[in-house]
Amino acid sequence: MSERGNYIAVIDYRSGNTGSVKNALERLGVKYVVTDDAARIKKASGVIFPGQGRAGPAMRQLRLKGLDRLIPRLEQPFLGICLGMQLLADRSEEDGARCLGIIPGACRRFPPSVKTPQLGWNKVVSVQSPSLTYGMQDGGYFYFVNSYYFDTDKVYVAGTAAYGFDFPSAVRKDNYFAVQFHPEKSGRDGERMLKAFCEVCRC
Amino acid sequence: MLVVPAIDIKDGKCIRLLKGDFDKATVYGDYPLKMAGRFMRAGARCLHLVDLDGAKAGKPVNKRAALEIIRKTSVPVQVGGGIRTYQAARTYLDAGASKVILGTSAIQNPDLLERLIKDFGSDRIMVAADIKNGRLAMQGWTASSNLPIAAGIATLKRLGVVNVLVTDVSRDGTLDGPNFGLIGRFVKAGFQVTAAGGISKLGDVAELNKLGVSAAVAGKAVYEDALDLKKAQAAVVYKNTLTKRIIPCLDVKDGKVVKGTNFTKLKVVGQPVKLAEKYSRNGADELVFLDVAATLEGRKTFRGLVADIAKAINVPFTVGGGISSIGDIRSLLAAGADKVSLGTAAAINPGMVRKAAEYFGSQCIVISVDAKREGENWVLYIKGGAEPTTIDVLDFCEDMKRQGAGELLVNSLDRDGTDSGFDLELLRNITDRVDIPVIASSGGGSPEDFARVFQTTGADAALGASIFHYRGINPSELKQYLSAEGVEARP
Repeated sequence: MSERGNYIAVIDYRSGNTGSVKNALERLGVKYVVTDDAARIKKASGVIFPGQGRAGPAMRQLRLKGLDRLIPRLEQPFLGICLGMQLLADRSEEDGARCLGIIPGACRRFPPSVKTPQLGWNKVVSVQSPSLTYGMQDGGYFYFVNSYYFDTDKVYVAGTAAYGFDFPSAVRKDNYFAVQFHPEKSGRDGERMLKAFCEVCRC
Repeated sequence: MLVVPAIDIKDGKCIRLLKGDFDKATVYGDYPLKMAGRFMRAGARCLHLVDLDGAKAGKPVNKRAALEIIRKTSVPVQVGGGIRTYQAARTYLDAGASKVILGTSAIQNPDLLERLIKDFGSDRIMVAADIKNGRLAMQGWTASSNLPIAAGIATLKRLGVVNVLVTDVSRDGTLDGPNFGLIGRFVKAGFQVTAAGGISKLGDVAELNKLGVSAAVAGKAVYEDALDLKKAQAAVVYKNTLTKRIIPCLDVKDGKVVKGTNFTKLKVVGQPVKLAEKYSRNGADELVFLDVAATLEGRKTFRGLVADIAKAINVPFTVGGGISSIGDIRSLLAAGADKVSLGTAAAINPGMVRKAAEYFGSQCIVISVDAKREGENWVLYIKGGAEPTTIDVLDFCEDMKRQGAGELLVNSLDRDGTDSGFDLELLRNITDRVDIPVIASSGGGSPEDFARVFQTTGADAALGASIFHYRGINPSELKQYLSAEGVEARP
């Protein structure tokens, strides 16, 4: 953990809505960089991996920049958001994409029995201790926009929400924590979570 | 999803076949009605009845036993086996069967299917798709036809069949687990699918639920107590905690929020950023900003404003008004808008919607629909409601979904500015037909109006203006009211 800069690296790979994450970090007054540079990402005290759009093109961008090899080797606190959570899986039904393989599982499309995309505020049930989930509020409401969900083993599920059935709203493995919702767009509950993450990273 | 126990009747007794082979039968009980009672006590909410002799003979054989169960049980009973004539189907349906199941070969008798669907409704007619060695098996389970699955699906669709019972015969009675891939194909094709064959444990049932199956029929597993009906049913009960969204709408002109019943009498309501902060603090789930001037000069001001709003608030917001090109969309999203709303441009050039969805993702493309009642239908208007088109609103909504729209914002020109309640009929028609999120707009003047739109239509969100700007009701007060009325809302 030596020689880490006290800043958050927001990974920029042209698939993330980095703008809204940037605005949220500005509001928190946190030091951050938006970057695709491996050295700066490695040196950061925390990494945020945002995402929006499709799995296939996103993975292509990551490979193009060599980030597909870097991201699985990071050791600092890591926060994936939305597509940035789904890309941690082995694969996704979306575009038949092979993903980063950090957390075992696959992303699947919601069945036709519910509207897709899931769009709006859903209630998150936290199933792990708040110290492991950056204080993700149990029973808190967070803003979701997704047509696919991360189907994974129970041991990696940090939170759920119900959309036809319980799907993972947050997953965790080692230093990797990721949420299906957008904390940067989730009002006070989301802001509190981002703040807790930055505090753990000492930024 | 429902978990449905199967009662298969042969020679008046309850039996199970292995892989549909009549020579490999296990007898589980002498009296089917008793079995039905046992399943009901175990928590069954529906029963699945098959007259096996009937299936083989091509006409009902154990009709008396089946009718007895249909008449004497208090849960829906679906029944199949040898139903190949109108009269045979009618006997069961008139006796109170919830559905009749016609054999796979029914697709060779389109006239019968059509008549049954017409007279009893597609929700009471189910067609069995028995799959053997990757093809549709046509008669009983003993002869294989040569109809490939894709062709079978196309035929069923064409005939107007909605309910399909998918059984992989090679797995039936084996406890090997269902053929999920096969079942998924039927679900994706848009059928209400009842899955049967090989369902043996809780995990199978949960997986079918995730696939979007409507009902799972379990036979051997419930007979042999390998599957607890109550537990299975509890594991797949439909749960949805997604809340209904309340969205204040702000009209912007020359950098100010304005309001007026027509464009010539606009009144300044306040500063956009200040109002945005106030509303998002007070429970707005999202915000919409419309550039009502949409002049070239106003455009730049508006873009700057969007950037300021994005910096200030932490809930999503949509912007719209005069967006006519991919370049417009790109610049507004880059400025920090979460979504853009397209109106006239989408009607004139639907291809642009497709392009925009491909470039930026469906989730940020909202289509604003201006509808006006004309007789039985609604006609699409463009240019802020100033100009009628010849496009039917329901057709337009469906087309927009096809083009990749993520959401529909539905305005009623008959209700706009009247505070007389949302156009519930319009919204019901749209939400019945299109399965993407719908935002109700126009006419929401009181909290009661908002409760009604969520209680009686499939709307996912509702837009309001004067209720927030003038009547002093803030979004969180409105949502408190909605919660008390039983509408799921974010506190």
